[in-house]
Amino acid sequence: MNETVPSARVALSWPREKLLMGLSPREYLSTLVTPFNFVAGLILLVGLPVIAYRFAFGLGAATNLTQVNPWGLWIGLDVLSGVALAAGGYVLACTVHIFGLKQYYPVLRPAILTGLLGYFFVVIGLMVDLGRPWRIPYPVIYSYGVTSVMFLVAWHVFLYLTVQFVEFCPAVLEWLGWSQVRRWALKLTIAATAFGVILSTLHQSALGALFLMAPTKLHPLWYSPFLPIFFFISSIIAGLSMVIVESMLSHKIFHDQVGPGEDVDLDAITLGLGKAASVVLFTYFFLKLLGVADGGHWHLLTTSLGHWFLVEMLVFVLLPTFLFAHGVREGSATFVRGTAVLTVVGIVVNRLNVSLVAFNWNAAERYIPSWMEIVTSITIIAIGLLTFRWVVNRMPVLREYREDQGVREFTGERRAR
Amino acid sequence: MMPHDLPTMYSAKAVEYLIAVAFLLLFIPFWRFVDRERVTAPVAVTTARRWLGQVVDWFAVPSDLYFHPGHAWARVDGGDVVTVGMDDFAQKLVGGVSAIALPEVGARVRQGERGWSLVYDSKSVDMLSPVDGTVVAVNEQAAGSPRPSGRDVYGDGWLLKVKAPRLAANTKQLLSGPVAKRWMEGVCDALRARMSPDLGLVYQDGGLPVEGMARDLDPANWDEIARAFFLT
Repeated sequence: MNETVPSARVALSWPREKLLMGLSPREYLSTLVTPFNFVAGLILLVGLPVIAYRFAFGLGAATNLTQVNPWGLWIGLDVLSGVALAAGGYVLACTVHIFGLKQYYPVLRPAILTGLLGYFFVVIGLMVDLGRPWRIPYPVIYSYGVTSVMFLVAWHVFLYLTVQFVEFCPAVLEWLGWSQVRRWALKLTIAATAFGVILSTLHQSALGALFLMAPTKLHPLWYSPFLPIFFFISSIIAGLSMVIVESMLSHKIFHDQVGPGEDVDLDAITLGLGKAASVVLFTYFFLKLLGVADGGHWHLLTTSLGHWFLVEMLVFVLLPTFLFAHGVREGSATFVRGTAVLTVVGIVVNRLNVSLVAFNWNAAERYIPSWMEIVTSITIIAIGLLTFRWVVNRMPVLREYREDQGVREFTGERRAR
Repeated sequence: MMPHDLPTMYSAKAVEYLIAVAFLLLFIPFWRFVDRERVTAPVAVTTARRWLGQVVDWFAVPSDLYFHPGHAWARVDGGDVVTVGMDDFAQKLVGGVSAIALPEVGARVRQGERGWSLVYDSKSVDMLSPVDGTVVAVNEQAAGSPRPSGRDVYGDGWLLKVKAPRLAANTKQLLSGPVAKRWMEGVCDALRARMSPDLGLVYQDGGLPVEGMARDLDPANWDEIARAFFLT
């Protein structure tokens, strides 16, 4: 039964309602004084001028990149690691919508947001890295270059970013209170999810395929014809681990966003994801062994880079395999979360190894990132975190949305259930 | 040009097959190790938990609501607007009242201070607001015909909609989920202690609590009983 309830128009402006979370500008500013914001502010204070310097004076002035080493920290960390760690979106979408494991639904929307922002800041990182960033839409609208793997990467990132935005659209529309449009967006979400999973499998592997073009430049222990498969499988591990880490941090930091009765059994979800990560890591370890065996490069394991390869394999692949398994067996979500952090570090190490450490390993000129490259990378990550927090504080990402009780009461007209 | 000669290729393939077979063989014990969770709750504990989950006593305590110890509930509707009402216990304790005096739209309410009053028989009992904020809507239908019979106190029996800017701080002071259920069990114990023998068939005997229990307990001083439970 519906009944019209008399109510008064509340004198809160749209920006105050939606952007300042109902607080006055002064109240809002006072909530910003936190240690985290202080550190983030310092990073931006140093980082933004550095980025401006890079655009004003070019790559040569700001980076240690050369013709021999055209890809540096920004590609290794912001792009390759960023894409891998943003895989939580497609991994969880596939788990919930395609495999039908609905118990993981509570962590789906934060995972999609992590994925969307991850990809968005990958593009930002890429813009900083490109010599002529204004040409970034070229592969999509002007000069396709269909014979290049870059064509594949550019289109995948472009399409997947669009798809992720469509997947996340319901949350934006819920925030805006546009329930009619939201219903349409929800219908699109199902198609977007299916399309997104296909795109992800293709382009995670496409990033690995990029390095197939440089067989002589990449150290034989890391180079393998299976690189696309390695990148794809390890992205599943990255996605699962990142969802565990992100949900742990979100539920700690944004605890007040979760309403009563919306408390999910996060421990059970964490254990489930940990079990999956353990099995995929186990498989990935054997695939990597196959890679070494296929090249017949066992003897290189005794070299210094070989030792580093062993560290990657044993500390960041085999160890978390058994730590995840142990945590799941003991029912310890905390143990699984700690292991997920180790695994996330391991994924970053792998991507940096492929793109920096083992790349041009035999060249006389070795690349070491400049301080401005490091600061830029940290700044982009910090802006990503701030954006994530901004969105979660305003949109229903962790909290449930109820259509019949939306946010329309501020407009004066309200229908009560 | 292929770097392998034929025998090297064969040996490399042989190693690859061995790795594949080793994977399949090792996967079996590995899966057994992962899949067998050592920690399983004892049967008795599990049964007790299931039984406790079903016990809601006689008063509905929905898990998706926040409760104030003064028997008001709050539900976050989205943003910082909160729907507020009196809980099932309060409704059954007081029963039918002649009016509910609600604040006007635009009025300020504060957590733990008077939110509205129940009026019956020339007596008035205050109830406390569960949140701070500005009243943006009142349920005039509930206020105008406050007869509780058939009214869902958590649905169409809501009383106020409050815009609560300090929602995060407010909700930390409220009870929800299992904590709210344990609190309600304590409230029921307190009610049992007040029961008089001539109350008739009530829930101690397996019956349902009657609406207006406070008036049945003490017709002259029902308002004092209500105040004791409503903390006013």
